[in-house]
Amino acid sequence: MVPQLTLQAPLKLPPSAVPSHLQQLWADSDDGYNGAATFTLVVWEPAWLEQHLARLGLLEEAVMGMQRPCLVDAARRAISTYGLPSSTAPLSHTLAQALVTQPGGESQSFDDLRGQAIESSISELQPHRMITLAPTIAAEQPIDALVAAYCPLPEDSHGGGSVCGDVLVLRGGAAAIAGELDLLPQLIPSHLPCWVLWEGALGEHLDIFERLTVPPQRLIVDTALGHTTPSMGILAQRIAAGQAVYDLNWYRLGAWRESLAMTFDAQDRRESLNHVSQVDIDLEGDQLCQGLLLGAWIASRLQWSLQGGHRHGDTSFYSFQRPDGVKVDMNLVSVPVGLPKAHAGSIMGLRLLCKPPNRRGLSVVLCGEASGCMRLEGGDISSRDLVEAIVPLVEGSLEVQETRVLAGGHDTTNPLLATAAHLADKMLAATVSSKAP
Amino acid sequence: MAATLTNPLRIGLRQERVIPPQCLIIFGASGDLTHRKLIPALFELFLQRRLPSEFAVLGCARRPWSDEVFRQTMAQRLQPIIAPNPQAWEFFSQGLFYEPVDLQQPGHLERLGQRLEQVDRLRATRGARTFYLSVSPAFYGSGARALAGAGLLADPQRSRLVIEKPFGTDYASAQQLNRVVKSSAQENQIFRIDHYLCKETVQNIMVLRFANSIFEPLWNRNHISSVQITAAETVGVEQRASYYEQSGALKDMVQNHLTQMLALTTMEPPGRFEPEPIRNEKAKVLQAARLANPEQPWTCCVRGQYGSGGTAERPLVSYRNEPGVNPNSTTETYVAVKLLIDNWRWQGVPFYLRTGKHMAKRLSEVALTFRDAPVHLFDAATGGVSSNNQFVIRIQPDEGATFRFEVKAPGSGMRSRPIAMDFSYLDSFGEPSDEGYVRLLADAMLGDPTLFTRSDEVEAAWRLYTPILEGLKQSPEKFPVHSYEAGTWGPAESDELLSRDGLLWRRP
Repeated sequence: MVPQLTLQAPLKLPPSAVPSHLQQLWADSDDGYNGAATFTLVVWEPAWLEQHLARLGLLEEAVMGMQRPCLVDAARRAISTYGLPSSTAPLSHTLAQALVTQPGGESQSFDDLRGQAIESSISELQPHRMITLAPTIAAEQPIDALVAAYCPLPEDSHGGGSVCGDVLVLRGGAAAIAGELDLLPQLIPSHLPCWVLWEGALGEHLDIFERLTVPPQRLIVDTALGHTTPSMGILAQRIAAGQAVYDLNWYRLGAWRESLAMTFDAQDRRESLNHVSQVDIDLEGDQLCQGLLLGAWIASRLQWSLQGGHRHGDTSFYSFQRPDGVKVDMNLVSVPVGLPKAHAGSIMGLRLLCKPPNRRGLSVVLCGEASGCMRLEGGDISSRDLVEAIVPLVEGSLEVQETRVLAGGHDTTNPLLATAAHLADKMLAATVSSKAP
Repeated sequence: MAATLTNPLRIGLRQERVIPPQCLIIFGASGDLTHRKLIPALFELFLQRRLPSEFAVLGCARRPWSDEVFRQTMAQRLQPIIAPNPQAWEFFSQGLFYEPVDLQQPGHLERLGQRLEQVDRLRATRGARTFYLSVSPAFYGSGARALAGAGLLADPQRSRLVIEKPFGTDYASAQQLNRVVKSSAQENQIFRIDHYLCKETVQNIMVLRFANSIFEPLWNRNHISSVQITAAETVGVEQRASYYEQSGALKDMVQNHLTQMLALTTMEPPGRFEPEPIRNEKAKVLQAARLANPEQPWTCCVRGQYGSGGTAERPLVSYRNEPGVNPNSTTETYVAVKLLIDNWRWQGVPFYLRTGKHMAKRLSEVALTFRDAPVHLFDAATGGVSSNNQFVIRIQPDEGATFRFEVKAPGSGMRSRPIAMDFSYLDSFGEPSDEGYVRLLADAMLGDPTLFTRSDEVEAAWRLYTPILEGLKQSPEKFPVHSYEAGTWGPAESDELLSRDGLLWRRP
């Protein structure tokens, strides 16, 4: 999959002229075509990290708002250049925030193609309209409205039935963008589904977030991009309010969920799931969202009820009660790593200790492809049956995951995510409200 | 521990391929298949969250039903399925619509086009449409032509046509139907159903062969001495007499289902796991297959018909005494054929295919028998020589596979005995497989034709049995129907087909 540019050079217009221009755009079409009857995609695409890397001369390519390998490479270079801890995840909010204060490059200009470079797999889905809100790092920058038509590439449309759509980019300082948000309801057809893709950290620019993401808009977020508390809080709150929410961080957990389920597919092991006594989850750094979601998924699937939790040092301790009344300990351990994966808080390893009655204990250890298993192989596991598996690293680009959501979406949240997010938020609240014993 | 205990961590994980927004149009929506199979399968996909919110079903038939009548009719007939999930049904049924349509009336098709546009707007289904011909086979050709004439198949990316079996009644009629259908739509839009291909274990044949390096080196004439493919049913003709009288076991089971199993078992590895490379290989191997003696097909084909049988408590009537069956019927309810494949991999290996109704056991399997050990060093524990290795892929029931090989029997001597190393889907996986139509509908709506038969496959399969079908027309006396007792493994003449080669049918 490759990014493709719009059919024509984008036309710069005053924002107020955009609705009438878009209405006119297809009016001359011979067959009276008035846009694909598919969906609208609204993207909040701050790309703070990418902009700062470009400003500082660490990224030579144009800013596109896409998670490309060159962006991750540039981010790793920045970590080393500015002496940040090597455990900083390249695409983390922490790095973007750290670069804000780095001087230099004020006079450096860079191409900004956000919203104009469309991932081909997304354009293949023929969105009716794509609206990109592209805030600039220069907070005072006035608004630019850029309008263009796009069509899927001929090779992507397999030679038949392609229809085109249009794109709108609103680029400028965040305040200027906020000032133009009233335009959007006129541009989003009410009879088509609309997805809002929030590519920024959850919790930042809350005013814009609230105005953009009004139900029934379907929301795509990534809880790995921001800090744990606001990310988890907003995720849980929006799901509880009945909005359809997709968390890309949850999709990244897919290989872990599948690997753990696979371990207990064997008929003779399933019974052990009723006798789990301890769960240990290791994750990279202190962004806890993925770890909380994984722990909450396990607990909710096995019908455990949360009894309490506290945080001490790098570890969050939780206690649950199984349906048979027995206590289960769950520990989320933040482990600093030298070469973290692109997203903050990626799972490194998972261990389940089971004590089935009248049978030898069972220890299930799942380790990330890149992280090894040694830490979780410690302790009293030699007296148990040991099942170990390596969980493949299947991150996929952000765009690949977005395409999956857009290709066949729902107007409700996945019940597994809904249950897990609710419990994960409660777990987080338990550690915030209680002190270590 | 109950064997059916579901893995709680497995629930909800099967969402790997979400179907894109579209409208499924079912012709013959008032018929049995719609409420017995199609709508339950769609509802199951809905429960698995594999249907998008932008989805609609437009039922079409001659009956003058409204949307509401269609919804209520489905709700009544699917009550046992709906009862545990009433709220889900409420959401799902909002996407059910109905339009009275007679495919032979041009005016109806024009109205259908308008209704589809209306449904597109209402459900945002993006103009993507899958047309499902659940009508009498006599209308497959004219139905496809009518849809094409109305321009409803014009977009090769966003319109598809699903055709139920049987596809033709012989080689010539299959060719003719292919000509009509292919003049109405491109091959990549046409999805010809073979229900056997949606069985998990049939698909597993490909995974077993091509995902493991241990089997493929042995999977050829150098190591395999014979192959038996069996599809045995314990039921009789039931309510299908009028169809079955015209069809018989050869057309009903062998030409399609058993031949597809043969193709998957014998095909060469495809270059890529994509629909066209796979279907190319299946077509190639079917084109290389032939009856063991096409000039004298009666020597490699045994036909049978069940007589009465069963027990005093549960007597089974003979085929000729079944309701709707001609008392002098010569339709076969059992057939066994011997095939050969003229290619480098399989030259000289006999393939025995058999199917029958009212047989001793309900099962479908592919059994590969390996060649004798070159030297017999050990006696079997039961006396004589040790048995051949055998690899059996169980299609149904108890889906799985068994590998049989010799081990040392306990004791002071050095005698061997066969043991079975067994794999069972039920024991190894945390959830049951989808019902066949769930998989078939999902694949058709995803536009994945891997499990559907291509025109050249269908024709090659019909051509394979043409000598028998022609012989039955010209010299029926050479293809006698041998009677067998209901509840047994078929007529004794069938055993002779193998005994001539020094072999026995498996009695699994």
